[in-house]
Amino acid sequence: MPDLITNNWQSLSPLAQDSLWLALLLLPTFLVGMVVLWGFRPQALVGALLWRFRWTNLTFVLLIAVSVGIGVGLIAQERGLRKGTARAADKFDLIVAAPGSEITMMFAAVYLQPSDVPLLSGEAFNDIATHESVDLAAPIAFGDSYRDSPVVGTTAEFIRHLSGGLAEGRLFAVSGEAVAGSSVDLALGAQFEPAHGVGDAAEEDAHAGTELTIVGRMPPTGSPWDRAILVPVEVVWEVHGLVNGHAPDRSSQIGPPFDPDFFPGTPAVLVRAEALWANYALRSDFTRDDMMAFFPGAVLAQLHSLMGDVRQVMSVMAILTQVLVTAGVLTGLIVLARLFARRLALLRALGAPGRFVFAVVWTYAATLIVAGSLTGLAIGWIAVRVISDVVTARTDILVRATLDWPEFHLIAGFVSLTVLLALLPAFMAMSRNIITDLRA
Amino acid sequence: MSLPLHVESLSVRAPNGRLLLTCPTFSAAPGDVIGLRGPSGAGKSTFLYALAGLQSTMSGKIDWGGTDLAHLGDGARARFRRETIGMIFQDFLLFEELSALGNATLATAFNGADKRRSIRKTAEGFLERLRVPKDRRTVDSFSGGERQRTAIARALAHDPAIILADEPTASLDRDTANALIADLIDLTRSEQKTLIAVSHDLHLLEQMDRVIDIADGRLLSEAALA
Repeated sequence: MPDLITNNWQSLSPLAQDSLWLALLLLPTFLVGMVVLWGFRPQALVGALLWRFRWTNLTFVLLIAVSVGIGVGLIAQERGLRKGTARAADKFDLIVAAPGSEITMMFAAVYLQPSDVPLLSGEAFNDIATHESVDLAAPIAFGDSYRDSPVVGTTAEFIRHLSGGLAEGRLFAVSGEAVAGSSVDLALGAQFEPAHGVGDAAEEDAHAGTELTIVGRMPPTGSPWDRAILVPVEVVWEVHGLVNGHAPDRSSQIGPPFDPDFFPGTPAVLVRAEALWANYALRSDFTRDDMMAFFPGAVLAQLHSLMGDVRQVMSVMAILTQVLVTAGVLTGLIVLARLFARRLALLRALGAPGRFVFAVVWTYAATLIVAGSLTGLAIGWIAVRVISDVVTARTDILVRATLDWPEFHLIAGFVSLTVLLALLPAFMAMSRNIITDLRA
Repeated sequence: MSLPLHVESLSVRAPNGRLLLTCPTFSAAPGDVIGLRGPSGAGKSTFLYALAGLQSTMSGKIDWGGTDLAHLGDGARARFRRETIGMIFQDFLLFEELSALGNATLATAFNGADKRRSIRKTAEGFLERLRVPKDRRTVDSFSGGERQRTAIARALAHDPAIILADEPTASLDRDTANALIADLIDLTRSEQKTLIAVSHDLHLLEQMDRVIDIADGRLLSEAALA
């Protein structure tokens, strides 16, 4: 029997599974609602009570809404960030670098975060570039900048691989040319002088006299590379007073092949195999004493796995916070119910069954909970839009967080749990002494 | 429906056990209009609430046409009130955010679908008869007289055989109170109902068939009103 259920469940589409989950999570709410309201029509009365205490109710709704909004917003944002970082690393199949921290190297080479890393030798680069399975081996030399744009030395093939074709202009052909990322504030034909280092530590005049001209622009990639200016790697070496990767008789050459004897070193190399499976063999081949090879996607997956644990903790904390807020609201409702205890006693005096009074108070509480949750959904939606824009602006990683099924499931679970909690004030209201309340 | 009332050896106690009221015997016939009077705290409202089956701790017999309320459970008492008793309170006890019709048809919220239509129809009839505005205005804008007449329409909407009124004119001015008393007694007599009203209002009591004095939690003899 369990196998039958499992097999049937797995045969459903993801949409059907998510929809069913939502329905299952909301089922307790509907069941309780049906049982509590069976045979009664308390809507007009509840509406009257809600209106009478509208400002208090609005406060309750906002309290629930903010806690729900924060909860779903955090979870959606974390997922958006995870997808954004994964998308940004998508083009980086295999990174080879000098031995060190994979995470540091990934942040430096993929997300262009400033970092001091050891260089990979010309001999090592040659081994990579000449490997029979390697389709693309592009040096990635970072460390310089122009304003807030990192200036990265690489090859034209890498730009082609990263961008899938330029949005405008052409690839660099000589050492004085550069290609701008989509969000770099330099027009085609504009000239600039790179600084040594990045950020506040950048030395503006260190490379004085090196004029580079923008000749092409990449389309948006949704990654920090949109903010980068890509130059021939030879330029980076030359402005640092190093040999430019080629023998003197070929010193004007741009791009591969590089001469190992004249290769000054590179922080990282992007490697792409002809076949996807071959990347695994390359990782093995390039994991040696003098170099390390890693899949940024795998490192990211480890980070995400760690974040996944944090996410679970966050989810539990979000639910706990929401439940605590709702418990506070329900406690407030118990107090509020005393304010309209005389009206409830009146209903009993007029012959309303105790279960009707129970239904009135429960419907009142459930209305606040559902209204708060729906408002929270809207708050969460707005929050993820705003936070996504802020994160994208600050990290250049395109984050497109949206509310999705997990958030809907979270809210559905929250609603079901709290409407069950709402049975408590309803029960307490039903148990009050009619005469005492009538005379209050 | 007309229900004779017979009360015998009734004693009502507070939840803490304190004796609130005793009544050796008391009777009323359909069409009777009876007043209850006495000083504050004498037990008038306690007796009225006992007749409605609202007192939780009581012994003896409260027999309304064969139904002994004193020995019914909460649910059965609520059903009896729902079907047989109309209650009117001193300070109206209306839902201020509802219209007159909304208040008068309050019982449709907890009565079965079969009764909702008749309750609504009866309520509309009484509102018209009692000259209560039937527009969408909420009753918080009503005068005291309009409010109490709305409360009467609510009490009569389910066509109860018994009307129990607790100080129905206490919150009203003289003219309004007089008009209301006239309406209430006229309705009761014309429909062969039983009206029992707690009141300090001499004008109201003068129009009652009988007035019962209550003092120190005991029903005394019927009083003669000059």
